[in-house]
Amino acid sequence: MLNFDPVALPQSSEQLRPVIRAFIADNLPEGRRNSDFTSGHDTSFSEALGAAGWIGMTVPKRYGGSERGYFDRYIVTEELLAAGMPVAAHWITDRQTAPLLMSHGTEAQRERFLPGICAGTVFFSIGMSEPNAGSDLAAIQTKAQAVEGGWRVNGTKLWTTGAHLNHYLMTLVRTAPASSNRHAGMSQLIIDLSSDGVEVRPIVSMTGQGEFNEVVLNDVFVPTDALVGNEGDGWQQVTSELGYERSGPERFLSTFRVFQELVNLVGVSPTAEQAAAVGRIGSQLMSLRRLSLSVAGMLQADKSPNIEAAMVKDLGTRFEKLSLEIARLAAPAEGDRTAFDQALNDSLLLSPSFTLRGGTSEILRGMIARGLGLR
Amino acid sequence: MTKTVDNRSEQHDNDVQKLLLATADKLFSKHADKQTLEDVASGNFPTPLKNSLVEHGFHRLAEENSGFDLGDVFAVLRVAGYHALPFPLAEWILANRYLDNADEEFSTIGRLQDKRITAAPWARDASQYLGVTPQGQVYKISASQWQRDESIAGEARDSASIEDKTAINTADNLFELLALSRCALAVGAMTRLLELVIEQVTVREQFGRPLARFQAIQHDIAAMAGEVAAASKAQEGAAAQLATQRQEDEIAVACARVFEATRATSESAHQLFGAMGFTQEHTLHHFTRRLWAWREDYGNERYWQEILGRNICARGPDNLWPFLASDR
Repeated sequence: MLNFDPVALPQSSEQLRPVIRAFIADNLPEGRRNSDFTSGHDTSFSEALGAAGWIGMTVPKRYGGSERGYFDRYIVTEELLAAGMPVAAHWITDRQTAPLLMSHGTEAQRERFLPGICAGTVFFSIGMSEPNAGSDLAAIQTKAQAVEGGWRVNGTKLWTTGAHLNHYLMTLVRTAPASSNRHAGMSQLIIDLSSDGVEVRPIVSMTGQGEFNEVVLNDVFVPTDALVGNEGDGWQQVTSELGYERSGPERFLSTFRVFQELVNLVGVSPTAEQAAAVGRIGSQLMSLRRLSLSVAGMLQADKSPNIEAAMVKDLGTRFEKLSLEIARLAAPAEGDRTAFDQALNDSLLLSPSFTLRGGTSEILRGMIARGLGLR
Repeated sequence: MTKTVDNRSEQHDNDVQKLLLATADKLFSKHADKQTLEDVASGNFPTPLKNSLVEHGFHRLAEENSGFDLGDVFAVLRVAGYHALPFPLAEWILANRYLDNADEEFSTIGRLQDKRITAAPWARDASQYLGVTPQGQVYKISASQWQRDESIAGEARDSASIEDKTAINTADNLFELLALSRCALAVGAMTRLLELVIEQVTVREQFGRPLARFQAIQHDIAAMAGEVAAASKAQEGAAAQLATQRQEDEIAVACARVFEATRATSESAHQLFGAMGFTQEHTLHHFTRRLWAWREDYGNERYWQEILGRNICARGPDNLWPFLASDR
């Protein structure tokens, strides 16, 4: 059975909350805000956040981090999302690249990349999916051929968020051909997106924004020192990131601004139906937050709660979609609906991606079923 | 220094609770057998079970100086739900918390509506009765002409006209505690449903392979497990916030989330057990019917969603996030 350890945020971490709230109040962006972590690409905000010590929070000080725990990071990230701050530029780098470099990177890689990551000035994209490898990630075909001093890389990465703006691509490649063990022979390479042979083709999503890309790698030379971890361990490294990737507050807060606008709209004396809608969203959100915090606690305790994280993401992203339906149907027809409608429409347009990005619901449920002993 | 002492006492409490739950598990497992479940559903009060509860002291769990607290009580109720214990344990334990002359005779609690007490489990066989208002006030009730009825789970629940009532002075909100008791029972029962379903699909074969091999079934059970996990966390959160200023909100969160989960979990369980699970013979309905009864007893999910929503809105939009993100 799955195990979600009980957890409450330590009082020492809670002391951060008023500090980050003050920072947010001083840096509120102009115009529409959105709690989705892919909305709002603003490198100057990321730089300000980095300067305040709120990127790479679990990274040791000698690499430019603030050497805090996962609970501290949790508080800062949930506050940023709830307020709808523009976190897209650094989000994935902070969430995935920094811990990956800490767990598998070489000393030279840590010294080279982490200070910039923590300062909010160096950004990575994640190169996993390909045209023929979506949910079936082990089907990747991007090939790294060993050459003098490194590799020649050929292949195409797809749905690569931010590659048109970022500096590096953390790329999953085949350093050995597929064998009977499909998960063997993969490695992670850091590819400089300004290298010769890298072509980034923006893909416009149905929101009208161009946040993801096709990245064509054509005979790109990658030096030996760009290998992260061990050659052939790419699959294990990628799957060990999943606990971080799938259980955070971005998996149930993407639509929070809609909830906020619903509460603004119905006011302090809602009808019974409106109150029930607010209460239903609130009860689901609070339950999810406790599950998510429980996973943060298990990460803090060096456990590997991958199945639990998959469950948080499956439940959380389904809740995000459901919350839009509840809010939509409860919102009063009268009154100034401008802000509510904008938030609702922005979230609705993004909503198909909630249960796709970072592992589809179908993949997650397969993992959960395996955890329950059904596979 | 202080911290060390605190840790030791917390560890001690954990050990004591573990022992209590192990005792409860053993006892409830023994007494919630098929025969007893069916006898109770036929209208027979389970006297051997009651005597066994007395023997182990479960009826006095919530009394002052019992050495246990309400957190322990709700943990025991989870175990009771896990076994579909055919006995109103929550009512008896909580009634004895307020009755000065609590003894080994069974006492029960019903809802006060106008001049009637309703839905009091096994009042026909009880020696003392308490009534609770929707605001949570507690009264000792005199009544004699009990009208017999039963819940959708087939458990006795009786009503009567009140002959006399005396207010009992307590800081508790008994309505909220009873609502949370239903959450604890329901989480226990849903946890069991999940285990039963997993066992069923592993053993049962169709089309030449276990049902567990079918992806549609794997995904249904994965979703069911998610509902149980979310419900469990919500109930656990409320039990940890008793007697704080967040009690009402946390219990509302628990009831809203737990009772919402009862629909999907009971539906999936019945679907996965097929026609066998629809029979009187099968044990499944002892769990699902109780879930359907408990979720209506002290406010269903809609009732508690509205309470939570009103509280959230009344604090004003600027306090929405601070409320959601606070554990204290």
